[in-house]
Amino acid sequence: MEGKVIVVTSGKGGVGKTTATASIGAALALEGKQVAVVDMDIGLRNLDVVMGLENRIVFTVVDAVRGKCKIKQAAIKDRRIDNLYLIPASQSDNKDILTPDMMVRFCKELRKEFDYILLDCPAGIERGFENSVAPADEAIIICTPEVSSVRDADRVIGLLYAKSIAPKLIVNRIVPEMVENGDMLSHEDVVEVLSIELLGLIRMDTNVVISTNTGMPLVLLKESEAGKAFRRIAMRLNGQKNIPIEIPQVQRSFWKKIGQKIGIGR
Amino acid sequence: MFNELMQRLFGKSDSKDVAKKRLQFALLYDKLEVSDEILFNLQKDIVDVISKYFEIDKNSLKLDIQKYENKSALVVNTPILSAKRVQKK
Repeated sequence: MEGKVIVVTSGKGGVGKTTATASIGAALALEGKQVAVVDMDIGLRNLDVVMGLENRIVFTVVDAVRGKCKIKQAAIKDRRIDNLYLIPASQSDNKDILTPDMMVRFCKELRKEFDYILLDCPAGIERGFENSVAPADEAIIICTPEVSSVRDADRVIGLLYAKSIAPKLIVNRIVPEMVENGDMLSHEDVVEVLSIELLGLIRMDTNVVISTNTGMPLVLLKESEAGKAFRRIAMRLNGQKNIPIEIPQVQRSFWKKIGQKIGIGR
Repeated sequence: MFNELMQRLFGKSDSKDVAKKRLQFALLYDKLEVSDEILFNLQKDIVDVISKYFEIDKNSLKLDIQKYENKSALVVNTPILSAKRVQKK
């Protein structure tokens, strides 16, 4: 069976695309699937550091696409999670070095070797976006409950529909306390405005920073709520439709609550 | 300090309603932003359709998108010179 190509995109930068790509990729691999995550942010690569694989880069996606190396040479194997591979972006080129056609052909090859190919799309809607969307079968939209993020998500959703892709939504960085106080758009608000299928909800989680600091996959951090949510998203993506979408709840422990308030206040 | 903390913990302000409204308007306006080319083509098509029924001054037809508080309107303005007799087939 041929593998599935999924693009992770948002329009706006800094909403958690790279963390989501790394985490969903890792979680799918933990489900026993062969997974390749591809950093499409040519010139501004970051998926490698988020995954803790930055010092093992020899070849990049640009080399692999242009036939300078084999796919196996460019795909870095994760040592902690079996079946997980990273194809890093190159840092010295710019996005115009690849074309949508080249990516379609490249992903055709990747489909033969992997069950899931996740493309970490760069911010923006220019060439890097087109390169990432052209080969995709499905799309995941990452959006935070903020006006700017939702607006950009809406724009990107329109562009994806024009390419006959119906994207699914992940609402990221939900702060349940703020939602409860009426100071943050709830996931219902976001879904209502964007009117697309919801795939999962991720609460604001300081473990993401810790995970990125150390390069340890978020889904392996046992105390991370975000990590757990990403694992459920991966199961849902992988066809387990009976996994419910959990809504981040206010953690009722008083001290935890204060801690989070202070954390946000900074 | 403690009062401020309590206010932050329990105070309701509902700024999200403001966010949602602003967002809905922003998206509406974004989508109404049409290129000059589309507007020109639309004008041409409208002139053709109206010309089937009325004698109009094609050059003085004006097409405009007007934005109001919570809606937008497409306004077509043209002087009618005379009505045409629509021939029944």
